[in-house]
Amino acid sequence: MMWTEKYKPKKISDVVDQERAKKSLLYFLSNFKKQRKKAVLLHGPYGVGKTSLVYAIANQFNYEIIELNASHFRDKKKLQSILGEAIKQKSLFAKQKLILFDELEGITKDDRGCLEELLKLIEKTTQPIILVTSNIEDDRLRKLKRKCLLIELEKLSDESIVKLLKEICRKEKIKADEKVLEEIARSCDGDARAAINDLQFLAAGRKEINKEALKALSKREKERTVEDAIKQILEERDALGILQNVNANIDEIFLWLDENIGYFYRGYELEKAYEMLSKADIFKARITRQQHWRFLFYVSFFLTQGVALAKKEKKKVVEIRKPLKALKIWMIKQKQAKRIELAEKIASLMHCSKKTAYKELFFMRFLKF
Amino acid sequence: MVKKEAPLELILWNEKYRPKTFDEVVGQKEIVSRLKAFVSAKNMPHLLFSGPPGSGKTTLALIIAKKLFGERWRENFLELNASDERGINVIREKVKDFARTKAFAGPFKIIFLDESDALTREAQQALRRTMEMFTATCRFILSCNAISKIIEPIQSRCVVFRFKPIDKKDVESVIKRIAKKEKFKISQKAIDFIYEVSKGDLRRVINILQSCAAITSNIEEKTVRSIVAEASPEEIKKILTLALKGNFLGARKMLFDLMLSEGLSGLDVIKAISSAVLELDIKEEKKILIVDKCGEIEFRLSEGSDEFLQLEAFLAWLAILKS
Repeated sequence: MMWTEKYKPKKISDVVDQERAKKSLLYFLSNFKKQRKKAVLLHGPYGVGKTSLVYAIANQFNYEIIELNASHFRDKKKLQSILGEAIKQKSLFAKQKLILFDELEGITKDDRGCLEELLKLIEKTTQPIILVTSNIEDDRLRKLKRKCLLIELEKLSDESIVKLLKEICRKEKIKADEKVLEEIARSCDGDARAAINDLQFLAAGRKEINKEALKALSKREKERTVEDAIKQILEERDALGILQNVNANIDEIFLWLDENIGYFYRGYELEKAYEMLSKADIFKARITRQQHWRFLFYVSFFLTQGVALAKKEKKKVVEIRKPLKALKIWMIKQKQAKRIELAEKIASLMHCSKKTAYKELFFMRFLKF
Repeated sequence: MVKKEAPLELILWNEKYRPKTFDEVVGQKEIVSRLKAFVSAKNMPHLLFSGPPGSGKTTLALIIAKKLFGERWRENFLELNASDERGINVIREKVKDFARTKAFAGPFKIIFLDESDALTREAQQALRRTMEMFTATCRFILSCNAISKIIEPIQSRCVVFRFKPIDKKDVESVIKRIAKKEKFKISQKAIDFIYEVSKGDLRRVINILQSCAAITSNIEEKTVRSIVAEASPEEIKKILTLALKGNFLGARKMLFDLMLSEGLSGLDVIKAISSAVLELDIKEEKKILIVDKCGEIEFRLSEGSDEFLQLEAFLAWLAILKS
């Protein structure tokens, strides 16, 4: 059995720390009928026990959990069919239900209408709903946050993780150097699950773990976000190969650079940087036209090293802005589509061509249609 | 040459010589000893293998499966290449369906997600709880080249193993072992060159070796060169330096000689140039200019223009660059 499963909290007291969060969550559940907000939004970094806490409570107080997470398809229809029934009032003898909507940050564009439907379900529900996310800053959650009671789980301290690891060692009858446990805790940076995994890794086939064993342990890495990459391109004078470590497609890189260059580059630098962007764009078009994929080398070279070297000296970049261009282009197109539609109507009324009507529309902009 | 009816795994040396036990694996000593311990305990967490191509990630995943399940390993081992199937539906459907059912023999099933850094972020999100919900029946082994492309919650659910490129001593021993079994001779210079172009990628090493052996039973450096069809970075750098000094005729002669003796196409050459430029000892801004020009030349070549003429134009341009 995997140790992260074996030592999964079974009671609330098994969950490490998080006393304030436990108290608020229990209070919410025991006074659910009186709550104005019918849902809780549980948030905090990964590996601190968000999902585990919900399961521990359910286990201890005999709730039946109905869970939806990112491994499920979660569009409007699916939500209605799975949760629509669950939120209804049950007879006195039925088991109390707890709706767990895990990994909010994992909602994709395929999960159409998911958040809107969630809001509706929260309005109507007679059963407690718990939403979980590790990214509370997500813009998409703005409306949802107002409808929920926010409860935060904190990053675990190294001491708490060491304590947890010691307990596991005791149960597994493994002698471990205190220094080893401290080192595991430090490298896992507040993530208890990662720490338990690492301990199981070090303990396999051994009765004793000493410092020597630590050598075999590899560190996890921070995920390199698009923002990190863009920041390096704009700040440093060396950005070669940087896109190889980022999980983003090349079109996104274009948008991010385009949005940000103007805020940090001036004059000649700006001109040079845009020249590079423009060249990268030409090669991107050539890829599609000729199906010659080698051109991708030039696209990414211009976008990284080209833009990085457009400046004479290193820069300090405070904040990377999110690209709005895609949204703007979409909005302009929407507006144009409306105007064209209107022009078509007017054209038939005014006995002129659509083109003329479209032009005349400008002079009619104060009229109300 | 191989007989026609031989099965493909024997025709391809990479399969034929793929290690079948932990002890046959070269390099990665620490990793191998930990994996052995997992297998003999018949218990392990999810694993994340990170490292360059040809360093043994897939091989070790296969060995784990064979050790755990014996003859029935194929029924209990799902191998998915994430660069071919990288969308969220693969995770939400294919992976979940396999994970759900019990293993036939052995403690659990294994899902091996090769090149999982190619999974979209959404697919990775969908993988998180999947990895947890089926721990009673299933373990995941993920492999990737760049661990920074794997979202942190997935890393948190795995133990991370970092594979290193195979070092020269081990590459050499593999080459010599195969040479003995397949009965061919190979010169030390050829071995050195194979190592240089493969950069510790054992899959590449063995593929080059097999191609060479198909031509001759006495492998020399030039045999390897004819297979690799890759201009050596050193020679390209020499040509570029010469051209940058203004010696157009000298550079042209060297380049054409190289192309004729190695059978290189214009595109091969420009590809080699575009990466060799980055290693030249000149100002960074100048490199941008040269790569830019390379791009233009490559574009013209891709449209089907005369490769010699285009490369000459490039050299002539380099010759005046210093002013």
